[in-house]
Amino acid sequence: MTTSRRPAPAASPVPAFAADPHHVTDHLLVGGVRKSFGGTEVLKGVDLTVAQGRTTAIVGASGSGKTTLLRVIAGFEAPDAGSVCLGGVQVAGPSGWLPAHRRSVGYVAQDGALFPHLTVGQNIEFGLPVRGRTAAPRVAELLEMVSMDPAYARRKPSQLSGGQQQRVALARALARQPQLMLLDEPFSALDAGLRVATRRAVSKTLSDAGVTTILVTHDQAEALSFADQVAVMRDGRLAQIGSPFVVYTRPTDRATAEFLGDAVILEAWMEGSLALCSLGGIPVRRPPVQGRVHLMLRPEQIRITEGGNIRGRVVDTDYFGPETTVRIQLAPIVVDPAGPVDPHQPVGGEVISIRHWNAMLARPGTELSLKVVGEGVVFPWDG
Amino acid sequence: MAFRDSTTTARAPRVDNLGNAAGGRGTRSGPWPVVVLSILIAAFSLLPLGYVAFMTGNAGWDTIQKLVFRPRVGDLLLNTLGLVVVTVPLCVVIGVAGAWLVERTRLRGHKIWSVLLAAPLAIPAFVNSYAWVSAVPSLGGLFGGVLIATLSYFPLVYIPVAAVLSRMDPALEQSGSSLGLGPWKVFFRVVLPQLRLAAAGGALLVSLHLLAEYGAFAMIQFDTFTTAIYDQFRSTFDGAAANMLASVLVLFCLLLLLGESKTRGNARYARVGSGVQANPPRLAMGWLEIPGQLGLAALTALALGVPLFHVARWLILGGPGIWTGGALAGALLQTLGYGLVGALVTTVVAFPLAFLVIRHPGPVTKLLEGANYISSSMPGIVVALALVTITIHNVPAVYQTAVVLVAAYALLFMPRALVNLRAGLAQAPKELDEAAQALGKPPLVAFLRVTLRLTAPAAAGGAALVFLGIVNELTATLLLAPNGTNTLATEFWSLSSEIDYTGAAPYALLMILLSAPMTYLLFAQSKKAAGQ
Repeated sequence: MTTSRRPAPAASPVPAFAADPHHVTDHLLVGGVRKSFGGTEVLKGVDLTVAQGRTTAIVGASGSGKTTLLRVIAGFEAPDAGSVCLGGVQVAGPSGWLPAHRRSVGYVAQDGALFPHLTVGQNIEFGLPVRGRTAAPRVAELLEMVSMDPAYARRKPSQLSGGQQQRVALARALARQPQLMLLDEPFSALDAGLRVATRRAVSKTLSDAGVTTILVTHDQAEALSFADQVAVMRDGRLAQIGSPFVVYTRPTDRATAEFLGDAVILEAWMEGSLALCSLGGIPVRRPPVQGRVHLMLRPEQIRITEGGNIRGRVVDTDYFGPETTVRIQLAPIVVDPAGPVDPHQPVGGEVISIRHWNAMLARPGTELSLKVVGEGVVFPWDG
Repeated sequence: MAFRDSTTTARAPRVDNLGNAAGGRGTRSGPWPVVVLSILIAAFSLLPLGYVAFMTGNAGWDTIQKLVFRPRVGDLLLNTLGLVVVTVPLCVVIGVAGAWLVERTRLRGHKIWSVLLAAPLAIPAFVNSYAWVSAVPSLGGLFGGVLIATLSYFPLVYIPVAAVLSRMDPALEQSGSSLGLGPWKVFFRVVLPQLRLAAAGGALLVSLHLLAEYGAFAMIQFDTFTTAIYDQFRSTFDGAAANMLASVLVLFCLLLLLGESKTRGNARYARVGSGVQANPPRLAMGWLEIPGQLGLAALTALALGVPLFHVARWLILGGPGIWTGGALAGALLQTLGYGLVGALVTTVVAFPLAFLVIRHPGPVTKLLEGANYISSSMPGIVVALALVTITIHNVPAVYQTAVVLVAAYALLFMPRALVNLRAGLAQAPKELDEAAQALGKPPLVAFLRVTLRLTAPAAAGGAALVFLGIVNELTATLLLAPNGTNTLATEFWSLSSEIDYTGAAPYALLMILLSAPMTYLLFAQSKKAAGQ
């Protein structure tokens, strides 16, 4: 069994092998991790690589296993199979298992998990080898790092707001200069306005400190905005891993597409790199299949335009202030009886929802012309 | 026209993630040393019940028939049943009415009344009995039993009901009003149904006390199963007759537990959210102010005034001589010693079980908790009988030693420690332990510095209540105390049995003085606990 290196508190958090800043190292390697609880397999073989200093969001519905994965990485749970390597050292796997306190991992729980019997300062110095007056400068430094006044050190956690508690929890986790920071839905307990502000503050602090970070969340928008890399977790597996832009615009399956945002799904016929559907011919990059498919477009790709041959009638609208969701029934496509019969010709008539900024334009019954911007994504036809 | 909607909306998973993390993953049985310890403790706590079952099984049907189906048992049954059937409803009515008056009306002085109504709990029932016999020497029979029991035990209903009333969400009552109910109708249709659980819990406690009480009824020569078992045991020692009476008594207790769990059903004791505490509304009393004040004054005079007055009277009559009897200081020291050791042992013994219940809920844990709940509802006389017989036959080395007496205290008062430890552990979620581990503390250090530290106040509260129980414990102490051991309770008992009422008075006073702060603690704690 190997032991993890515990960097001295004042030492640089960057391990020696990453001395070259341009060389991106795989800092965390999760390979084939499985975990069952009472006969239920929660993790069914998870592989994940996180580069040094980068931010990864693991996003998934509740019960998908994302929190368990985080707990395996943290060392609160031992995997049944597979391995976890941290900074080149195997912390879980065939050669043994290191418990949480011997890994150099920071952890921020959903509600911060500040010790209620200790002051903010005592919480922050909890993991430090020094305490009291000796630790005070470091505590002040850490509080400033999370944009809090050092005077807060004397307060009790109960005197802080939710966002402040989370920032103190982050400062506490940063105190030991961990190699890896794990955030378990740290923003979900905060209300909407505070959530965005705290997320930004935490994100900035972590990237300034250059700490490799994993965020677990069920909030797709949070995952897409926070991370360099998004891993979509579903049913104990990582369904897709990629940059936020790629997983949002080119999801690999329909469930991922629908989980990450609103999606317009239409029946289509794939020929070459063009999908023929009620919205016309939509270009698709590297389609996995040909023939009958589901075509996925994001609602913001469908625009209202002046003129054009794709037409639809407004069914109803939902007004949200800055934008309006407009439900549109596409016009049935009239087939020229004299022309050649194409069995793959779309018939039209589907109802789609798009978003538009101008509520006045979209009164129910209005006839609109539509156009599609960008590429679509197709998934195999599943009946 | 049927719309085939081709747009899907991103699913926003709900926040049930939280419950998932807390419950869904915690079903494993827990660290094995804790599990083994808990099983041993639960097995130990099942000793009295097992003993009674074993003895009954061994006796054979003929003996059972001969010993159980006889007129004497019929009399005891009538007395005990009568006592329960009359006293419990009286306690419920007095407790609920009192709680409502002090918590929900603008009765003048309701703050003082709320403490005064809980105060009788500081007076042990047998001291109450002693005072009443001093006041009315002819007191006896069912009437005497009911009078003393009601005055001693109504706070057991009052305290939980008052706690629930003071913490009940006013929004419910406001909804009732907005649906067109007047204040009185709101009370009967909205408030009262919510008190059912607290009142049923209090009623169960009263019933169990009635079944277990020895001193108060022996003093007025009112025979119940417990007094009969004690007399039988004293006269025949280890006799089959005492065992058979004990099994009938145990059967009673089990029926009561079953009955209470039926009333409770699947509902949980009222839980109010952790949000901002709004003050519940109070009703104007109007012309009811005077009857209300008079009623509470009469209750307090009977439950507090009579015992305090007569203890004081005997103290004055006795003069300074009764304080220098010599045994007093010794009894006080021994009581404090047993109280402290017993409280410590009980709290330590209860800890593993409380830990499992909170951190690793599951079928095994539930079973262990249930075993403990049932066994600790056994009357002191049954526990004492079981321990005496088992130690004589199987471990004579410890027979009549302090070890056995402390074990009996642990068996009797474990729930007090358990309830408090559970509340304390619930305040120290495992996430805090994990946070400490992620900060580099080994699990044991994390446990000591976080979980144990956070549980300490609750553990101390539980220990104080165990201490209170031990100070006032009479029955088991009489049977199990080593030779030469005299606690305040046993010394008080032997003096008052010899009709040395003046000599007994200082002991009564000391017991009341020791109990008073603990009773206040219990009262204050109940107000907090009701919200959790």
